[in-house]
Formats: sequence, C-alpha cells, structure tokens
Amino acid sequence: MLLRTILRRLAVGVVQLLGLTVAVFFLIRLMPADPVSRFVGINPSKAAYAQAAKAIGVDRPISTQLLHYLGLAPSQGKGLLQGNLGTSWVSNAPVLKDIATALPVTLELITMAFIIALIIAVPIGMLAALRPGGKTDKAVFVYGLFAGSQPEFWWALLFVFVFYFKLGIAPPPLGLINPMNSPPPPRTGFYTIDSLLAGDLTTFFDLLHHLMLPVATLVFILSGPIIKMVRQNMEQALTADFVLYARAAGMPGSTVARYALRAAMAPSMTLIGILYGFMLGGAVLVESVFSLPGIGQYAVRSILAFDYPAIQGVVLVITAISLVVYLLLDLLHAIIDPRLAQE
Amino acid sequence: MPPADAPLLLEVKGLKVGYPVQRRMVTPIDGLDLTIREREVVGLLGDAGSGKSTAALAMLGLVRPPGRILAGEVRFLGQDLLKLSPEGLRALRGKDLALIVQNPRGALHPMLPVGRQISNAYRAHGAASSKEGWQRAIDLLRNVGINDPERRVHSYAHELSGGMAQRALISMALSSTPRLLIADEPTSGLDVTIQAQFLDEMAATVRGTGSAILLVTQDLGIIANYCDRVVVLHEGRIVESAATREFFIKPQHAYSRQVLSLVRAPATPAKFAADIAPLIEVRDLVKHFSIKGRDKKVQAVDGVSFAIRPGESLGLVGESGSGKTTVGRCLLRLVEPTSGDIRYRGQSIASIKPAELRRFRSKLQIVFQDPYDALNPRYTMEDVIREPLDLHTDLDAIGKRRRIGELLDLVGLDPKRMGEKPRGLGAGALQRLNIARALATGPEFIVLDEPTSVLSPLARVGFIELLARLKKDLGLAYLFISHDLTTVQHVCDRVAVMYLGQIVEVGTTEQVFKRPAHPYAQALLGAHLTADPMHRRVDRPPVNALAGEIPSPIDLPPGCYLASRCRHVTEACRVTPQTLAMHAEGRPVRCMRVLAGEVPIGGSP
Repeated sequence: MLLRTILRRLAVGVVQLLGLTVAVFFLIRLMPADPVSRFVGINPSKAAYAQAAKAIGVDRPISTQLLHYLGLAPSQGKGLLQGNLGTSWVSNAPVLKDIATALPVTLELITMAFIIALIIAVPIGMLAALRPGGKTDKAVFVYGLFAGSQPEFWWALLFVFVFYFKLGIAPPPLGLINPMNSPPPPRTGFYTIDSLLAGDLTTFFDLLHHLMLPVATLVFILSGPIIKMVRQNMEQALTADFVLYARAAGMPGSTVARYALRAAMAPSMTLIGILYGFMLGGAVLVESVFSLPGIGQYAVRSILAFDYPAIQGVVLVITAISLVVYLLLDLLHAIIDPRLAQE
Repeated sequence: MPPADAPLLLEVKGLKVGYPVQRRMVTPIDGLDLTIREREVVGLLGDAGSGKSTAALAMLGLVRPPGRILAGEVRFLGQDLLKLSPEGLRALRGKDLALIVQNPRGALHPMLPVGRQISNAYRAHGAASSKEGWQRAIDLLRNVGINDPERRVHSYAHELSGGMAQRALISMALSSTPRLLIADEPTSGLDVTIQAQFLDEMAATVRGTGSAILLVTQDLGIIANYCDRVVVLHEGRIVESAATREFFIKPQHAYSRQVLSLVRAPATPAKFAADIAPLIEVRDLVKHFSIKGRDKKVQAVDGVSFAIRPGESLGLVGESGSGKTTVGRCLLRLVEPTSGDIRYRGQSIASIKPAELRRFRSKLQIVFQDPYDALNPRYTMEDVIREPLDLHTDLDAIGKRRRIGELLDLVGLDPKRMGEKPRGLGAGALQRLNIARALATGPEFIVLDEPTSVLSPLARVGFIELLARLKKDLGLAYLFISHDLTTVQHVCDRVAVMYLGQIVEVGTTEQVFKRPAHPYAQALLGAHLTADPMHRRVDRPPVNALAGEIPSPIDLPPGCYLASRCRHVTEACRVTPQTLAMHAEGRPVRCMRVLAGEVPIGGSP
C-alpha cells in the first residue's frame, strides 16, 4: 500500500519533470537574447556566425533541438532519457558534471542550516506558545522585527564585518576551504563527508570554520518563519480538546506539551518542505557574499550567459530534489499522523 | 441511593467563572453552589448555554482559555482545589476526580494509539512501567466492554466509533478508580441503543468502584433513569435541587416546569378513516450509492414502501446508518432514487422530468437537521422567506411583505424583526424560520429530517408544540425522521422502524411504543429512556439489548439483516431473506419468527 503510493508519486513526479523540461525549453528561447553572439564577438562575419550557431546546435529547427535534448533523436546523440543533460556552452563540460560539483555545496550549506534552525526554532516556538507574554515570547517578537525585515545578504555582510573584520573569529568569505589546503579526494562530492571519509580532520574542521558564517546567516533568516509557524500551530494545538482532556486526566505538564507538539508538528512539516525547496535556489545571495560555488551561483551565471543547457539542467535538478523532499516529508507526515496513512 | 447523611465528597461554594469579551468579563458561571455526597449520582440539568460544561470543567479547576475562575471554592474531600499548587491539583485530577466529555473522539489525541493514552493517564498517577501501563490499558478496555482489547489498544481515535471512543475515554477516566466521575453529556451524538448500553455499563462500573457521579445532561430521560438527585443550572446558578422523583412530580423553578411540560402532557394521536386516499405513497423505493474506486455498492434504501394520508404524520425511526435520511431526500427527489415509485395524490413523481417536478415542489417541502447550515447567513429573515414566494407565487411586493409577516407570526417569530439576519438567533428560533420558509408555498406535506436534534430541551418543547399546532390548523402531513423517540412519540400518529435500509415494522405510535414486535424494534424501544423516574432503568436488568453495533450497509448478509445481533436468531434466519408481512395484531412486521408467534412481543414496560 505504502510502496504503491510511493511508486505512484514517483511516476507522477517523472511526468511533472518532463512537462517542466519542455516548458522551460521553450521559455528560455523566448528570452530576448542571442546566445550565438556571445561566442563570436561584435560584428561577426556571416560565416563565422553560422559556424558558431552550428557548433552549439541552434541552427537546427527548434523541434529537432527539443527531440535531441530529450534524447528522442538517437541519430543526434544522447539526450535526457539517456541521462545526458548536454554540454555547457560556457564551461564546455557536461552539465551533469558541473551540477555534481556545485549542488553538494548548496545542499551541505542549507541542510546544515535547516538542522540547526529546527533545533533552535522549534523549542523557542514551543516555549513562546506555552507561555504567551513570557520572556521567550517577547524575545521572539523583537527578533521577528529584525530578522524578517532585512534581506539575508545584508545580514551576511554584517556578520562578515563583525566576525571576520572586527573580531577575527571567522575566516575571510572566500569559499569553502582555505586556499592553502587542497580539497579532499572527491567521492560523494560533499566536502564534509569526503574529508571525513579520507580521515582528514584538519580539512573537516577548516570546512566547518568556513561554513560557520554562511550557515549562521541562513539559520538567522530561516528561524523567523519556523518559530512563527511552530508557535502558531502550537497555540492552536493547545486549545484542542485533547490537550484540555490530557490536563483533566492529570497528566504532567511535559506530557501535555508533548501531546500539543505532536499535533503542531504535523502541519509544520509541509511548510518546512516548501522552505527547503525554495532555499535550494534562494541561497544564491548568501553563496555570492561568501564566494561559495553552489548551485545558486551556477544558475545565475548560466542565465546571464544564456547557457541554455545549463539553465535546463539546473531547473530540472532543483525540481527533482524538491519533489523528492516533498515526498519524504509527506511520508514523515503520514508516520506522525496516522489519519493520513489511511487515505 | 446513598443515605442522606453520607459524607460530603464535593462542595462548591460561590463559584464564578469569567471570560473576557471585548474588554468586559462575561460570567457564564456566576455564584454556583453544589454538593455531592459519596456514592451519589447527581444529574446536572440545564439548557444550551446555561454553562453546564464550563461548570463541569471548573470543578476540576480547569477553564478553557482565555477564561478564568474569578471567585469561589471547590472543596473536594475537605480541601479547596482552587488554592492547591498546580502540582497538587494535577495529582488529584484524573486520580480522585475524573472527567469524561461529549465529543469523545475530539478528546482523544488523533495521532496516538488509545492504549498509549490510557497508559499515560494511568502512569501519571503512580509509578508504573510503560509495559504495566499498556497491560492496564488492555484490562481497562476489557472492563468497559470492548471486544478484542488487545487489538483495540493499537487503534487511533478516528478508527473508533463514537460509542467505542466514549468507552475508551471512560476507561481512561476510571484508570485510577476516582472518587468522583464528572460526565459531561457523555452520550450526546450516540444512538439510543449505544447510549443505553453505555450508560448501563457506566452505572455498573461506577457502582463497582464506589464512585459518585455528576452527570451533566439536557436529557430528562437520562436524569429519570440514572440519577438520585437533580440540580438545575440556569443562568450560571443552581436554581433547583431535588430528589429525582420529587423533581418530576413537583418541579419548583419555572424552567423545570417548562421542560417537564412535555413529559406530563402525552400526545393524542389523530384517528383516520381507513378508506382515505393517501397523499404520499411510496412503493419499493431503492437507493444504491456506488463507492468510488470499488465495484461495491452501499444499499442505503432497500425496498421501502409506505403511505401517508392527508394530515397524518409518520415517524421514521432507526439508528444512524439505517437510511432514514435518504428516504426523506428521495421522496422530494433531492436524491434520485435508483428504482421504485413515489406517488403524490396518485400521480407518479419518481421519474418525471425536473421541469415538471417543479410544479410539485411547492406542495412538498423539507426542513433539515441543522438549522444554521440550511440558511444563507447573508440573508435577512425577510429574504429567506421571500425566495420561495418569488419562485412559486405571483404576489406583488406589498402582498409578499404581508405574507412574510403572517408566516413569521404563524411560527411564533416577531414579524418586526424580519429585517434582521438570522446570525444572532438560537437554534430553536432558526428552526422556526426554516419552518416558515417551508410553509411559504402552502405545502400539504413536509419532510422533517431530524429537526430537533440540535435544539435545547426548552426549544424542543416549543418546537414540538408548534408542529402539533400547524398540523391541526393547516392539516399538514409530515414524514418525521428522527432518532429522538420522545419527540416522535409526541408528534407522530404512526411509526415505521428502519434497520439497514429496510422497514422492519410499521404501526400506530401506541402499538410500536407499547408492544414493539420486531426484535430490532424491541431493542430500540427498550433502549429508549422514558422520562419516568418510577421505572428506572438502573433498577432492573436491561432486556432485549442488541449485541454489537450496526453492520456496514456494504456487505449485507443473505438472510435477515439483524441475524448477527439478534437474541432470537436461528440457523434459518441467517439464510432466509425476510419479508414485511401482516402480523396477527394487524400491522406489518419483517421477521418470520415473530410472524410465526415464536418470539414474545412487547417488552418495554
């Protein structure tokens, strides 16, 4: 039953991805841009222009291009269905390989940020709801005024100013590792995991050191909505009949709070999932400030360079990850709330 | 009943509970005094909005947020609960003072197995391991009559029926054998048969543990059958306290006299000549609902036939899920019947086109169960009644206004308030407005679908009187669908009993109530709590009770539908489909053993 649900969701996901791919394929070609001119400079000769167009394949009819990209035209070479996302026009490397380098950086960054944000924000939201008007509640209010009202790059810059420039605790915002160190031998693509696998603790701690400020910035930004949401759901759960009844049954305060939290977390899961999917591309400002070569940076660079295959690849991969995250959260939701499992 | 000098268990003095509403304190409980002695069963009677539930919670020192207890004492075994520390109060709650509430499924955590919740409640008041708590949960569920408790401990609230959820709740409440059980309308929303089963079990269990009960209710039948003493809550205070029998003989307060007036004035059924042509005639009505994604069908109505004469009211009774409501909706073709014939004054309306049907709509009307949902909240009372006048009459504007005024006056609403929106009205007044709307087109026949189920006792009395008056003055015929047997007894001339989509017995109200013949009718009427404190149910062993709950109308048995629950079942019953045939007493019954005279009829004293 459960397996069937998962398979159905995955099948629907594949169809969604395919539809999105086709849509994006046409949408980027609607941009008022000429990718060829980037390769040939100003005032090219007709022949040079045609040659460049032929080189990146935009001289063919658009339907042929689409079939090629999807992998439905075997004579033209491998495409999406064969697991080939094409070659980047800028880096000349396969898009898949580019993404495999950039994506782990972002995933590492936002996953860490999410874990820490949840650890901090959930108890705070809970406390604020349990004691309305208390100290936590007031602190949350003040924090909400600040964190919500300034953009994340501003906080990132402020953190760099304070912790690197003034206090000197943090490293300069120049990438993931100290330029003097060499990156760990790539196995998973995730630097932290790779350095641990290689038993290289120096690099591992250096990585954490470099990730400190970007993660802190994201935690600072993410905690706002999470606290707010947990608090709201918790407040609602606390007025539920089953919480009143747990009190009437003389259950200790900790049990009552647990009852309410369980009911509050279930609806919170969905929003956390949406937030995660959003941050995949949305972390780009923080990546830029700290010069982290993540997927957000890669996406922006590809768009500015009209690098069609790269744009397509990024959209596809981010969507696929979002879909998987939603699926996982729905499964988790069903474990927490048996009423959903039944349906 | 405990002796009058039994030691005091609970003593409430000057209790006052307030809720802040727009910067003012509203006090639904305002100076409540109450005593309960050991082993006493006290009924707390009050109308909707009298503060019953607030009072019940406040006796545990609890108030729904944002309310507060403003003043008063709640002395339990000598100590004032309201002065105890939070931890001291917590230790008492659920241990010596336990609560069960209405809406049991809402009181259970939706995401935790009931066994875990019972275990948590038990372990809150004693050092027990998780395993012991779990074992205790199984024992407790078995004690309150749940079959297969080893499996049921793993169930979640949404997997339990209302009756079972209430049993789970009471097993939690009784987990530490409390001295006082506060039961806040524990059976509202349950069917009569389940209600009687549950209250019997609660009375028996509590008698076994020696606890006292404060039974909060609006139902005089429950008071009469289970309580030693009655206290009446009105506008936040206790206005009357009397032994149950005295209360029913000589009520003191005006409110008590009003709610009791119905019990004291039995209805007089109308007499009909046998040869009057029927107004409505239904033959072999069938309605199947198909289930999405499965090739099975729900047999909601399974071959129902009956006739209603002009000016007659027929009651349709049965548990929820018996198909009563579907019959009512099929009659007006709000739901399309699968097959069967419906005749209005001899003319078939079962298969005519919608356009033709409209001509009949003005003569056939319906009033729904929930008076709030049946009215557009944006309409004023005037708009509500004008709508049918616009559709079915050609009165001019002045004529319509006059008619609206007349109709409001007819149902006992003030015509001067016709410009108001129905929002502020109580359920009783809203249901009157629904009646006025149904009457606007001058109908001859009204389907009343559980019209009293959300009304408070006081509103119900007035509403029943209104129905009786309209029937007499306007010669209306009713199909009165209800599981509220007291109301049926007062409104209906004849009664049809339904079970799983079939009529199992039809007779005059007197016949069915005094001498029910079909085993299901016997059980249903046996579970009816007559408001008669002289024949209390707790003083005699319950008879004719059915086992279990109503089966699903999807996989119906080949033989008698009642076979799985019936005391008189034989092997032949399980394989022989039953037909409705005339019984020797001159009324149709669907049971071959009753028809053969093998089952004693009657039963209800």
